[in-house]
Amino acid sequence: MKDLMISRRHFIKKTAMIAAAITALPVVNAVAGVLTDESRMDDLERAVFAKMLKIALPTEGSTLIDPATLPVLPTIEGALLAGMEPHIRQGLRGGINYFNEGAIKAFGDRFVNLSDVDAVRFVDQWSASAAPPERALSMGLKKLTVLAYWAIPNTWGPLGYDGPVSDKWNLPSLGNTPEPKI
Amino acid sequence: MSTQNNKLNIKTAKDIQDASLIIDADVVVIGSGAGGAINAYELAKQGKKVVVLEAGPYVPSSEFKEMMAVAMGSLYQDEGGQSNTHGDVTVLQGACVGGSTVVNAALCFRTPDYFLNLWKAEHGLVNLTPELMSGYFDKVEKNLSIEPNAKHETSIGANLILNGLNKLAIEPGVAKRNIRDCAMSGFCFSGCKTDRKQSMLVTYLPWACNHGAEIYADTRVIRINTANGQASGVQAEVVDPKTKVVKAQVTVNAPIVVLAAGPIQSPIILQKSGIANSSGQVGKNFACHPSLSVTAMFDKEVNDFHGATHSLYVDTHTLPEEGGYILLNAVQEPVEASFQAEPGTGKNYVAYMEKYRNSIRLITLVHDENVGEVRFKDGVKEILYEVDDHDFEAMKAGLKFNARILFASGASFLYLPTSDRTVINSVDEIDSVIDQLKNEPARYRYTSFHPQGTCRMGADPANSVVNPYGESHDVKKLYISDASLLPTSIGYNPSETVYALSSYIADEIIKANFS
Repeated sequence: MKDLMISRRHFIKKTAMIAAAITALPVVNAVAGVLTDESRMDDLERAVFAKMLKIALPTEGSTLIDPATLPVLPTIEGALLAGMEPHIRQGLRGGINYFNEGAIKAFGDRFVNLSDVDAVRFVDQWSASAAPPERALSMGLKKLTVLAYWAIPNTWGPLGYDGPVSDKWNLPSLGNTPEPKI
Repeated sequence: MSTQNNKLNIKTAKDIQDASLIIDADVVVIGSGAGGAINAYELAKQGKKVVVLEAGPYVPSSEFKEMMAVAMGSLYQDEGGQSNTHGDVTVLQGACVGGSTVVNAALCFRTPDYFLNLWKAEHGLVNLTPELMSGYFDKVEKNLSIEPNAKHETSIGANLILNGLNKLAIEPGVAKRNIRDCAMSGFCFSGCKTDRKQSMLVTYLPWACNHGAEIYADTRVIRINTANGQASGVQAEVVDPKTKVVKAQVTVNAPIVVLAAGPIQSPIILQKSGIANSSGQVGKNFACHPSLSVTAMFDKEVNDFHGATHSLYVDTHTLPEEGGYILLNAVQEPVEASFQAEPGTGKNYVAYMEKYRNSIRLITLVHDENVGEVRFKDGVKEILYEVDDHDFEAMKAGLKFNARILFASGASFLYLPTSDRTVINSVDEIDSVIDQLKNEPARYRYTSFHPQGTCRMGADPANSVVNPYGESHDVKKLYISDASLLPTSIGYNPSETVYALSSYIADEIIKANFS
């Protein structure tokens, strides 16, 4: 029993750290590192991100671009996971698993198996949770998913956002500033 | 002797073919941001051989993409993912040739006399008088074209906020920025593609190279070497930025070392080197000016996409006795907007993003207590920092102040940057909603652009890391020159403070070693 409690404390601490790491996940790295076998998504991660993408961006009936028509999951994997520090990447795996299993307690099934309505309720419940790891995981995984979507410039049209402007506006570079005389 | 080529003399990992490299120099500078670049120039101008080592990559401004998602991956520390251990304070720093000066908002403030006097009284910095610092502020303002914003240098959102300030009879500040002929793209945080921002990349670094300085990018310092109680050079590694594979070992032999790697990396380099910590203060006293961004939704399209990144501030409550918070406007692209507000998951989120063009935001940045610590443990960097309860109250006061201004500016409702949906629908709700906020980890979406204080300056070797002239108390001829030095947080963007302090330290190095 004592071992179990120690183990549980260790697990909760570790989970908090994993959640923290996920909350702070970097913005999409377009100058991506090399995608190794260690950094690739496994089947569970792919399923969790796919579910999160589906419920976070239900674009039907809106002006937004359907995420299913865009390479959002490859963006998460190729542009983000590839450049991740190994210890963060390892933590992410644990965090995603914890998040997926976390739905069982309140909704009777894993996150990936929930109806879309229940999955939304689960994510919002964890976002409001009194437990920091739950808040951090919910916020972090949603952030990771939606920013991978918005990092794809095709998504900006419906927002009226015009993106980079220097070339479009034909702005000349002023170059390096002359050294002061004194 | 100056060549006046005015170009960077730079080598990157792909230029290095040998597995080991030994370089002899008069001065080795670690880091190419504000502190490193200014020291490199001032010391090279004295005819000294200066070598600058930068852990980050060299990205020419012509390759800047004007997209935050791309910039984070190429110009920022940890690809924009550097944070405290709770993960709720993102600590953004540049990690590229030019350092944070490449990706900051170019906003400049002189260090308030309040803090210079405080540092004198509490840290023995009797040398940093307002009179002395004034000369250095004048110098860097001239060199970096630090000027008040012209009337046209603003943004649509800033103009709306100005209307709100006028209605409430709140006095606005006019921002000063290190910009020449601002193109108003709004992409300061992604790097200035057309070289209007006077970052180190286009000023002090090429000027240093005019005097023979050499810059090595992709070169990570792993240890500062010492001999007989004084600095003798550094060990470094050239790392392929793509594969992260170490390509070469570098030894720089130099009798003077200037450590300017920033408030996170500088203490870690000292910790890895096992030096300069007889006080036990290396890495301690971390502060970072945590900020929260309130998103205001309007009933009409605003299109606050471009213009000066920051052009408007209010500092009527900035000093600790007056509240300890400052207000700043900011333009924001969709990637940031996508996670800086929490409208709820699903349809509510889609509705929020569909109205992105109707939104503006106002930032509350607080002067925080130096309660954090940076340490290197089990091979991993850690930033131990929780927003102090007192600072959180300052944040709440700032959020209330901002909320009133945004409603006066015409906002129909506001989103707070919380983990779950928190909305303020009217002026009448401001106090009740914000009063309910509790200081909890992983509850808010804090951003910090201003890490500070981890190698603080002071007269007493027992409680500070460097002396009042920037030299380590423990290791002679080891100087520190970045925001690590600041004994307390200053509540304003610290870049001009770093520019001026670095100029001062360069003069002290010259006086002590070259005269």
